[in-house]
Amino acid sequence: MPLIRPSSHDVASESPPEQAHSLADLTVQLASSDAGARRLAALEMLAHPKASKVLLTHLKEEASATVREAIFTTLARLDDPAALSGLAEFLRSEDANLRNGAIEALKLTPDHTASVVPKLLSDPNSDVRILTISILESLRHPSVEEWLVAVIENDSHLNVCGAALDLLVEVGSPGAAGAVERLKARFPAEPYIQFAANLALKRLKKG
Amino acid sequence: MPEPTAITEAEFQKFKEFFYRKTGISFDDSKRYFVDRRLSDRIQATKSEDFRSYFMLLRFQASGEECQLLTNEMTVNETYFFREDHHFDCLVHSILPVITKRKTKGEPIRIWCMPSSSGEEPYSIAITLLERWPGINDWDVEIIASDIDTGILNKARAGLYSERSIRNVPAHLLRKYFIKTGHDYQISRDLREAVEFTRANLAEPLDTRHYREFDVIFCRNLLIYFDDISRRTAADTFFDALHPGGFILLGHSESMSRISPIFNVRRFPEGIVYQKPVPIP
Repeated sequence: MPLIRPSSHDVASESPPEQAHSLADLTVQLASSDAGARRLAALEMLAHPKASKVLLTHLKEEASATVREAIFTTLARLDDPAALSGLAEFLRSEDANLRNGAIEALKLTPDHTASVVPKLLSDPNSDVRILTISILESLRHPSVEEWLVAVIENDSHLNVCGAALDLLVEVGSPGAAGAVERLKARFPAEPYIQFAANLALKRLKKG
Repeated sequence: MPEPTAITEAEFQKFKEFFYRKTGISFDDSKRYFVDRRLSDRIQATKSEDFRSYFMLLRFQASGEECQLLTNEMTVNETYFFREDHHFDCLVHSILPVITKRKTKGEPIRIWCMPSSSGEEPYSIAITLLERWPGINDWDVEIIASDIDTGILNKARAGLYSERSIRNVPAHLLRKYFIKTGHDYQISRDLREAVEFTRANLAEPLDTRHYREFDVIFCRNLLIYFDDISRRTAADTFFDALHPGGFILLGHSESMSRISPIFNVRRFPEGIVYQKPVPIP
């Protein structure tokens, strides 16, 4: 029969899990010229709680998209304060790939990401605030509506409020209608806000 | 009959977190009854005093035997032969012609089924190749089927199936590849010997380190049980397990595009599959 059974050394058949490589070894491997080896090092670093710093530093120089994805996965799974603040910091990056990768990674850890959302929503950089709203879009967390309401009540930047309003239309409850009315009053001369707020009110009131 | 051990909300949450870390499988509150029943059964089977002492055993037992036994209890293993059969058409008509075009003669084609469950899927693939793929005369094919549940792997190796499992198997194939044993049907010895069954945990990178150089991966209806981050970890594992240009097939309600951007989408007449990019020279 042309179906052949692979030799037993080929797959780890019910043997106990292997020992992890040391963080020092994996750091050396992360500098390899072979992207496949770098990916594996990044994924194996999950076994090392202190790996976040090494991964965050490497991420800034990493050219391969697949290695970057592996790093983002490990950072999200490590889910420690260093990983979290490092990922949040990438929201300021000029590199769109890094920014998007960080956004996707932050979405993967809703509970921990939630702890930095209020700080990110009051960041002086309006782009960071808008990107944070895009994280909220798929962050499964009960405070999303509350955060969005706080943005439309307090943020002075038109585009930030517009982004929050757009999302509020999708996830908001009738209780957010008062905040939308107040937003309309704050930006009476902005046609987009007036249009989006009217639409939001119609949808929110429908529940 | 002994009274079942009551599991408190705090204990359920504690267990849920532990089990998720170990296996990548997350239970929401709708699974509470299912989880409680199985926990309670294992607490009694191990003669543990209460949840607390059982949880200690689970976490600190050096052999990890109890953790494996509980994992076996907690995993769902309902499947049947030729489930979602458009994927088998896709394998024969679309995927294998692409794979063989790139491969050198003498190099085996490697297929990984994860999860193996009780073996219906890997044996369906084996039968499909033997019956419907002319290339089987020219190429060696290796089929490796893995699961986190060691109990179900033993069942897969034994290859005994109920009427329910074989309901989609045409009569002529049933005669050719199965032997009726009492109320059940056993898959032929040749096929049982052709598939390698192994234990693997997708949530543990060290566990899957040796799963490499596959051309095709079937991972259907597993990722729906995972949360977002475990799905992404699984996607990374599959990426590294595949040859460049290798394919992965997911269940009908699953989409790799929503999990990770590292695969390319391939639309074949039989359906959508995902391909590991081939590096540009």
